[in-house]
Amino acid sequence: MVVSVQAARGALAEIVGSAHVVSEPAALEGLAVDGATPRWAARPGSVEEMSRLLALASSERWSVVPRGSGSCLDLGAPPARVDLLLDCRRLDAIVEHTPADMVASVGAGLSLAALGAALGRHRQRFPVDPVGGASRSVGGVLATGASGPLRFRYGQARDLLLGVRFVQADGSITWGGSKVVKSVTGYDVPKLLAGSLGTLGVIAEATLRLHPMPPASGSWLLSFRTPGAAAAFVGAMLDSTLQPERLVVANAGALRAAARPAAPAAVAVSVGSIAEAVRSQGSELVRMGREHGAMVSDVPEDVWLELGAALAGPVRLKLSGEPARLCHWLAEVERLAGEASVPVSALGDAGSGVLWLSLGRAAADGGWLAGAVGTLREALSGEGGNLVVERAPRSLKDHLDVWGPIQADSLAIMKRIKREFDPTGILNSGRFVGGA
Amino acid sequence: MHTFYKGAPDVVVLPTSAAETAAVVRLCRQARVPVVPRGSGTGLIGGAMAPRGGVMVAMTRMNRILEVDLPNRCATVEPGLINLWLSDATRAHGYFFAPDPSSQMVSSIGGNASTNAGGPHCLKYGITVNHVLGLQMATGAGELVWVGGKAHDRPGYDLPGVMVGAEGTFGVVTAVMVRLFHVPEGVKTLLASFSSIEDASETVSAIIADGIIPAALEMLDEAMVRAIEEGIHAGYPKGASAVLLIELDGPRAEIEAQARRIEEICRAHLALELRVSQNDAERALLWKGRKEAAGVIGRLTPNWLLQDAVVPRSRLPEIMREMLAISARHRLVFANVFHAGDGNLHPIICYDDRVPGELERAKQANEALMHACLAMGGSVTGEHGVGLDKAEKLPYQFAAADLNFMARLRRVFDPDTLMNPGKLLPDHPACAEGFRPAAALPGGSWV
Ligand SMILES: Cc1cc2nc3c(=O)[nH]c(=O)nc-3n(C[C@H](O)[C@H](O)[C@H](O)COP(=O)(O)OP(=O)(O)OC[C@H]3O[C@@H](n4cnc5c(N)ncnc54)[C@H](O)[C@@H]3O)c2cc1C
Ligand SMILES: Cc1cc2nc3c(=O)[nH]c(=O)nc-3n(C[C@H](O)[C@H](O)[C@H](O)COP(=O)(O)OP(=O)(O)OC[C@H]3O[C@@H](n4cnc5c(N)ncnc54)[C@H](O)[C@@H]3O)c2cc1C
Repeated sequence: MVVSVQAARGALAEIVGSAHVVSEPAALEGLAVDGATPRWAARPGSVEEMSRLLALASSERWSVVPRGSGSCLDLGAPPARVDLLLDCRRLDAIVEHTPADMVASVGAGLSLAALGAALGRHRQRFPVDPVGGASRSVGGVLATGASGPLRFRYGQARDLLLGVRFVQADGSITWGGSKVVKSVTGYDVPKLLAGSLGTLGVIAEATLRLHPMPPASGSWLLSFRTPGAAAAFVGAMLDSTLQPERLVVANAGALRAAARPAAPAAVAVSVGSIAEAVRSQGSELVRMGREHGAMVSDVPEDVWLELGAALAGPVRLKLSGEPARLCHWLAEVERLAGEASVPVSALGDAGSGVLWLSLGRAAADGGWLAGAVGTLREALSGEGGNLVVERAPRSLKDHLDVWGPIQADSLAIMKRIKREFDPTGILNSGRFVGGA
Repeated sequence: MHTFYKGAPDVVVLPTSAAETAAVVRLCRQARVPVVPRGSGTGLIGGAMAPRGGVMVAMTRMNRILEVDLPNRCATVEPGLINLWLSDATRAHGYFFAPDPSSQMVSSIGGNASTNAGGPHCLKYGITVNHVLGLQMATGAGELVWVGGKAHDRPGYDLPGVMVGAEGTFGVVTAVMVRLFHVPEGVKTLLASFSSIEDASETVSAIIADGIIPAALEMLDEAMVRAIEEGIHAGYPKGASAVLLIELDGPRAEIEAQARRIEEICRAHLALELRVSQNDAERALLWKGRKEAAGVIGRLTPNWLLQDAVVPRSRLPEIMREMLAISARHRLVFANVFHAGDGNLHPIICYDDRVPGELERAKQANEALMHACLAMGGSVTGEHGVGLDKAEKLPYQFAAADLNFMARLRRVFDPDTLMNPGKLLPDHPACAEGFRPAAALPGGSWV
């Protein structure tokens, strides 16, 4: 047992070198996790160092919060206390990339931007594009189960995670999955780690399935006079044989935030393929759009970044219900927000029905949010849907269940999983669903 | 097929509902008797056999489609439903169930979910886990749980993700909710023959390197082509050392252009002959040989072993060379029909168990081949699963900490190790911690 603060710093420095330990109060304050200032931060340079850090933390019962790029550290219930902030950014190597196999193994700290640049040279990509930019770390993207508009065609991060090297709470270095595109050898451990918010282990390295960069692409924005017309168009698109890469519903607030021409609702579509197919699919979707009364414009690729920026508000919610009811839920949210004059920007993925909502300042100030979240959750429960408060000021989060209710039988299993792999509860403890 | 496994259950039960299934599992749990779930029994890994006796729970009577929800593009089915029946029921509306193991005419969706089955078209569409939205299971812990559902994102751990592919070691799957996909605008199939298996393998890599992900990319070797031609006259080119079957689907403009590009790539790799389907009838004919390959193996050999290991796609030419060397060394004929686009090999190792020592040689050759795949960075099984057959092979791919993690995960769902014991996980010290072997069913018991 390390007794003093000094001794603890020494023990950490012995593992990662003192240049990679942060213990100065001012620096630590800058690393606060949703209001909780860590006692130390350490930056391991290898999976072995990460393992020794966790072994130390578990023998000391330190609460540990893994950190990627830090863009989303406040996701989840606020931590009661943070002892060690485990910063993964030095693990940023491209460990292996065989272009012919379309598989890459990379360190968890690598940013999506750096990964994208390296893959781009081989005309490949890791098609996960969480709204909000490419500075995010691969580990953070995987741990949060992040997804963006490309999910429509390529699935979520979990669908692209083939193998994962992680360190368990007790420091054991563990590997799950494989390094090939197809394997059913043993349980699908990568699925368990993806989206587990660092509560079962800290991801050190990931083997990712890649896709070819399409030789040509095009994006279109279709504005509609009513949200209902946009919904009808989305239905027609989904029932057609077109194969877009992205199909996103945007509300008036998102268009405004993205500085796009005003409209009650819009649908943004992109197609990636060989040039002739982009042309022919493009003209077909323009035709379908006009048939549904849309104003259609082809837009530069930047539109996706601009729309993403529309979600940067102080309160962000993620709603998931029946995919076919996406536009119903959007209307419901707009009605609730409209009554309270809370501005709302919304982007919805038409394939999965997942809707991201960014609420303006008014939501962060008032007591309105808890009521609206409760109303929506109750309505969603009828179809097994849910609503997660992804971001909100700490003062509001203290009065909110950020994850919402989880089906009792699923929660019982989740708790058993957490207890099995982190029995002393040191990893992001109390921050995940049901206090896991 | 590993016909040399023997092991009969003491009792077979055929429940008709999830509640009945859960009651059976609970009873077995009280009696500490092993439970072996079974779908259609087409598995190739000894997964649905009962080497330790116990109660076999066969799902064949639970074979209804419970709901087709087209607006949400999903369906909920009982586990015993035959895979193809779901596509048959939804195709008129323009939808289909994408996972298509070659056994799809007979294998069950519960079995597909439990083995996380692949198939020719999973190169483009993904394997079963990518299509399961939720499932219901009677777990070894005595619960009947529904996990997942129509809402695609759920806070918490991805339970459907880990429960798919558990091979009956977590519990009995009693319902599955799966995604339905819209049928593509067009489909085009190409057949190319080559004078060497290496040319064919390099063609596979070149197609993918060109940025084209076909819907399916299958390879057949000389022995397989000969057997198919003698057996069912599919009209495959005679004398070819390898045949590639390449299928494209999607928007017409895309597949037309991709087909032209693939023709160029095949020619550049010295294809002997190229055929392109012009209509559905021609397409069906090109597929005929592939689809009926399993049926003609009997023409090749009285007994066979099937390997299912994987290599990184770029190593295909190398592993095919290695395979020739192994077959020569062990004096055995190998026939190949496999998912080349994924690097998922399926060599059929022919032997005759009436010839003393031949089974032994076949097993050794099989083992040598699997090790060669692993040495190239591959995997022990690509789609058939681990089962009884490959449980002892897991330590070749996983370290003790990895095995221990899996064994503990299993105990979350099956604390007494009663569900399909002896399958998937090896008898390895790392898995044994806390292991309590199941009791055999006492004589004269009834359930
Ligand atoms: C403006 C904005 C918009 C966003 N929009 C979306 C969106 O539309 N859809 C969406 O899905 N996401 C969205 N996100 C979320 C964000 O993109 C992801 O959560 C992000 O990928 C997190 O990456 P990070 O490296 O910043 O992780 P961090 O913020 O550093 O960490 C996030 C969480 O993951 C854990 N973690 C980090 N690294 C590891 C590791 N190596 N091992 C284990 N646990 C780890 C942390 O403990 C923490 O709990 C948005 C974020 C922002 C800021
Ligand atoms: C000719 C032929 C071609 C094949 N082609 C392919 C192919 O292309 N791709 C592929 O992946 N496989 C293939 N297979 C293997 C096999 O068909 C698949 O593994 C299939 O998914 C097994 O389904 P089943 O219903 O027959 O299951 P079974 O053989 O009955 O069982 C398989 C395993 O799943 C478990 N299981 C079955 N049902 C349940 C349930 N309801 N709950 C819990 N556990 C259950 C069993 O315990 C066992 O471990 C092929 C087999 C044959 C004979």
